[in-house]
Parts: sequence; structure tokens; C-alpha cells
Amino acid sequence: MALVMDPAGAEIQALKKITNWRGKRVLEVGSGDGRLTLRLAKFNPAKIIALDPDPKSIRTARKNLPQKYKNRIEYRVGNAEHVKQKANQFDSVVFSWVL
Amino acid sequence: MVHALTEARRLLKPNGLLLDLRPAASHRRAGLGEGKRWKQVGVMRENFDDDIASDRAIRQVTREGLFKQESVVEFDLDRVMDTLQDFRAWLDDFPGDKMPSHDWLYKRVERTLEKESNGTKIAVRGLMRLRLLRKLKQ
Repeated sequence: MALVMDPAGAEIQALKKITNWRGKRVLEVGSGDGRLTLRLAKFNPAKIIALDPDPKSIRTARKNLPQKYKNRIEYRVGNAEHVKQKANQFDSVVFSWVL
Repeated sequence: MVHALTEARRLLKPNGLLLDLRPAASHRRAGLGEGKRWKQVGVMRENFDDDIASDRAIRQVTREGLFKQESVVEFDLDRVMDTLQDFRAWLDDFPGDKMPSHDWLYKRVERTLEKESNGTKIAVRGLMRLRLLRKLKQ
């Protein structure tokens, strides 16, 4: 039994076309198990901090994080309303199915 | 929702970008097959109250001069399922107060699937919207 989300990659193609990610600091809000985070990482941002309010999803995301992205992706439990980060830190904030 | 948007603005550098990715307020379609061979079987009946509220929040922060909308992209996104059980499980994941029963759709997909060859997959296709908003000075 399986469910495959977006096998055609339409979502990531849209994200790729809409802006330049290379070298950028990115905050992803609503990262879930990291499905989209790992796809965004292929665009070579400097750093992705990925937040989700569900600790179980964050545990799964951390477990599935490939070694090559360990320095560039950081998963944290958190929500969109109160992010424990200083102001003016990110080039892009992605609301991933959050609003 | 507006609180989340103002928090995003606080975190963004000057001229930073907010990308709002989520399903559009448009009923998803269930069908059989994948990609270009996908055929629609039925249209879901969904409640869009949350989506309408989110769109309202976006309009509010742009009206207040916190962000400027620079572009909007729409595209179809598929969820492809191997079996009817996967489809059932996906439908059952929706809270009852958010979406009416879709037993009729499940039965329709089941009947249509019986006429197809083995290995035919079920795909739910939905319209996605990606908005690009730029942080403005105030």
C-alpha cells in the first residue's frame, strides 16, 4: 500500500521557477516529515531551518535527513506564530500548506 | 493567520520573500491513471472556509503595506494511490466536520476501477496556488 505525493514534481518545479534559492537562508514553516525540505535543498540554499508543530513529524524528518544535508538543514519543533529566531534573518520564508 | 504573516515579516530580511504554498479553493478531482492518462471519475465536495480566511489574511497584510504580491502560480498536484484501501484511508483522514462523507465517490471509483486493467492507480488531482510576496518597508 502506498500514496505518492506529486510524482510529476509539479510543486517543486513551481518553487524553482518562482525565485532563486542558491545561497539563500530559508525558513520553511510546516515542513512535516521533510518531503518538500529535501526537494528545496537540491536548489543549494545556504541554510534551511524547517519548522513543524508536530514532534513526531520532526523526529521522522531528522531520521530521514541524508548525511549530505546535515549541515544545511535543521529541523525544529515550532509554529508559525512564534518562531524563536532573531528578526531579519531569512531571505525567504516558505509557508508550506500552513495558512 | 495574520499573526503568522506578521511573524514571517519580522523574520525576513529587508526585501525578503514570503512564499505561500497551499491548495487553492477548488474542489479536488478523483480519477484513475497517472499523468496524461489520468481520467476523472468524480469531483469532491469540500469546505473552503479556512482557505477563504487565509486569502482574506493575505489581502489584509498587502492592504496594510506589509507585503506586496509579486506573482501567483497555479498548477495541478496529484496524489497517486496504489489501492482502494489507500484511497479509503486518505478520505478517512479528513475530520468529519471539515468535509462531508465521500462514500459515494469511493463507490464510484471502486466501480470504475473494476473495469480497468490490473495495476491501474487512483489519483486525486488538486489545484495548488503558490504566491510570492515581497516584504515592504513601512
